[in-house]
Amino acid sequence: MIRSDAEALVRKTMARFVDSELAPRAKEIDEAGEFPGEIFRRIGRMGVYGIRYPRDRGGSGGNTTLYCIICEELARGLMSVAAITAMQCLMGTNFLFHFGSPEMIEEYFLPAMRGEKVASFCLTEPEAGSDLGNVNTRAVPDGDGYRIDGMKTWVTNGPVADFFTVLCQTDPAKRLKGVNFFFIPRDTAGVSVSKPFDLLGTRTTKISELAFTDVRIPRRYMLGGEGQGMRNLMSILAEIRCMTAALAVGLQQAALNDSIRYAHERAQFGSTIGRYQMIQGKIADMATDLDASRLLTYRATRMIDEKISCIKEASMAKYFATEAACRAGDKVTRILGAYGYSMEYSAQRYYRDNRFLLYGGGTHEILRQNIARWAGL
Amino acid sequence: MNIIVLIKQVPDTTEVKLDPRTGNLIREGIDSVMNPDDRHALEAGLRLKESGGGKVTVLSMGPPQAIDVISEALGMGADRGVLLTDRAFAGADTWATSHTLGKAVEKIGDYDLILCGRQAIDGDTAQIGPQVAEYLGIPQVTYVFGMEEVKGRSMTVRRRIEAGYERLRVSLPALFTVTAEANSPRDPVIGSLLAACGAKAPIQVWDAADLGMTTAQVGLEGSLTHVIRTFPPKSQRAGEILEGSPAQAVEDLVGRLKERNLI
Ligand SMILES: Cc1cc2nc3c(=O)[nH]c(=O)nc-3n(C[C@H](O)[C@H](O)[C@H](O)COP(=O)(O)OP(=O)(O)OC[C@H]3O[C@@H](n4cnc5c(N)ncnc54)[C@H](O)[C@@H]3O)c2cc1C
Ligand SMILES: Cc1cc2nc3c(=O)[nH]c(=O)nc-3n(C[C@H](O)[C@H](O)[C@H](O)COP(=O)(O)OP(=O)(O)OC[C@H]3O[C@@H](n4cnc5c(N)ncnc54)[C@H](O)[C@@H]3O)c2cc1C
Repeated sequence: MIRSDAEALVRKTMARFVDSELAPRAKEIDEAGEFPGEIFRRIGRMGVYGIRYPRDRGGSGGNTTLYCIICEELARGLMSVAAITAMQCLMGTNFLFHFGSPEMIEEYFLPAMRGEKVASFCLTEPEAGSDLGNVNTRAVPDGDGYRIDGMKTWVTNGPVADFFTVLCQTDPAKRLKGVNFFFIPRDTAGVSVSKPFDLLGTRTTKISELAFTDVRIPRRYMLGGEGQGMRNLMSILAEIRCMTAALAVGLQQAALNDSIRYAHERAQFGSTIGRYQMIQGKIADMATDLDASRLLTYRATRMIDEKISCIKEASMAKYFATEAACRAGDKVTRILGAYGYSMEYSAQRYYRDNRFLLYGGGTHEILRQNIARWAGL
Repeated sequence: MNIIVLIKQVPDTTEVKLDPRTGNLIREGIDSVMNPDDRHALEAGLRLKESGGGKVTVLSMGPPQAIDVISEALGMGADRGVLLTDRAFAGADTWATSHTLGKAVEKIGDYDLILCGRQAIDGDTAQIGPQVAEYLGIPQVTYVFGMEEVKGRSMTVRRRIEAGYERLRVSLPALFTVTAEANSPRDPVIGSLLAACGAKAPIQVWDAADLGMTTAQVGLEGSLTHVIRTFPPKSQRAGEILEGSPAQAVEDLVGRLKERNLI
């Protein structure tokens, strides 16, 4: 039987979209610094947000590898659009999908899949970054439901989201064993959203603080069983790390492509700069970093798809690929000489956007500690 | 209305390069894509289906990897795909290609309209559509950019001509070749793309025997023309740069154009 290869076909489809629609407008979108609503909805109409969910339940019937291929391709075009897409496919909708009631699926999940509603994910608090045991947003049983009070920060999509998946503490004495996810629609009384943060990179990603003051929600808005929050978070942690690694792969590819193109074009001392060994060395390092990143990333995604536990492999992929993306951002701005420092070219954007990859899903300090432990230390 | 759209897989470039030594197309490192005009033909077909019902079948002749354009078409909303693939089809000229496609259209049967792209970016002959229509003995309209109402067994369309357009009423079944001006094609939908890769996808693969054709009727053997040599034309025209100040250069240029009665 002759059939297309799904991975190659999805990659090609996304690459076409990126090359014809996203990359040519990347500079304009980045400079506007607004949530790219039109592109967000268009990606929704393509059925991208459902890539991880089964087709008979409103998804597109893909898997983690396909999800990461999409993230990678979009990141090659514009990191912030890739980041928003990644959020909508995974963290923003995962617990709603698994634990939401049929009405919640109808009212929020399915529109989110079509790109008509924006999702977000709220773990971080002013006092709880890497240390989630410090989560201090309280969920207290209240009549038929819960009352939520507290504050979240660094909420990607905060200013534009229609609903939030929020990690709250139900039993402070238990610390990490007392946390749970709750579903909070934006229009619930007592939810307030700060002004967007001013950011170094991914400037169209809108990030803000959220305050919950005496927010009342029904019992069914608790996503997952009592005390299961950390376990649920762990169930997608490897996938979050793979996704971040895939974003880093996309950025490296973009930086490498621009570097090669420029090295072919730019002539100094009577020869194109690509003929100089110092430039060749940088290109060789970038190409090797990229290949290694890709191998690590998709090894881990395939393990996830085969339901093999792979937190170590996913952590190594995230750590290596995102550090490599930082190196690529550095090299491309050198290869382009002064033009790498100009806002006219994309190189500066790769240099800024690569920092986005360093924090979410575990900082590298934390990842390296874990990797050392898994290595036997 | 049942519609058959003919789609061709082509190298992804408008600047196909020829190997200067052998005269062959350099295909390495070049992706294959759906011929750009065919995307517009498919979009036109999908819109007709959405407004008036019916089914859209896509048909392509090519090597096994041309399955990708069929899958993509299913991803965009086509209902069924047919791939014609057979080693014996290789080397077909436009006669053999349209003969084979015509046979497949007959085998698919029950159609009201056949849509083609205006032209393929690689072969570039714009012959296939008209030849398929001739083979089937149905009316054809080329350069269609607008489709108006369907009334019973006829349809009104607009066709681009040099200084404007023609409006034509055509009886169905008919074949149109569609230009890029017609519409802006939709994006494929990922869920449908993935379904098109699955075993249960509504895709059929036919070879020469399935079409009841002998190897003598298809491919190189079935072709009436044979390529003796392919070569890039030598560029003979030398440019000339007009020197002097801009004002001088403009004057010089205008003078020369007048001299040749060009302005
Ligand atoms: C662009 C962006 C988007 C974000 N989006 C979201 C979002 O949508 N939702 C959300 O919940 N959060 C989001 N975050 C927040 C992100 O998850 C946190 O930044 C991350 O968890 C780290 O927390 P922190 O920044 O408070 O750093 P801290 O935890 O305060 O760390 C500061 C430094 O100390 C190091 N450190 C901390 N603990 C240790 C230790 N035990 N050993 C060694 N070193 C240590 C860290 O590695 C880091 O270098 C986002 C952040 C950014 C930058
Ligand atoms: C003299 C001659 C000799 C040739 N010899 C060879 C050869 O030896 N080897 C070789 O590989 N090719 C050969 N070709 C090329 C091949 O015949 C053409 O590519 C093919 O017939 C389609 O013609 P075209 O590309 O010009 O398409 P056009 O006529 O420009 O295409 C118009 C439309 O027809 C439809 N269409 C065209 N081709 C197909 C298809 N295969 N499946 C479905 N729909 C289609 C599409 O809708 C397309 O938009 C030869 C062509 C010529 C003119």
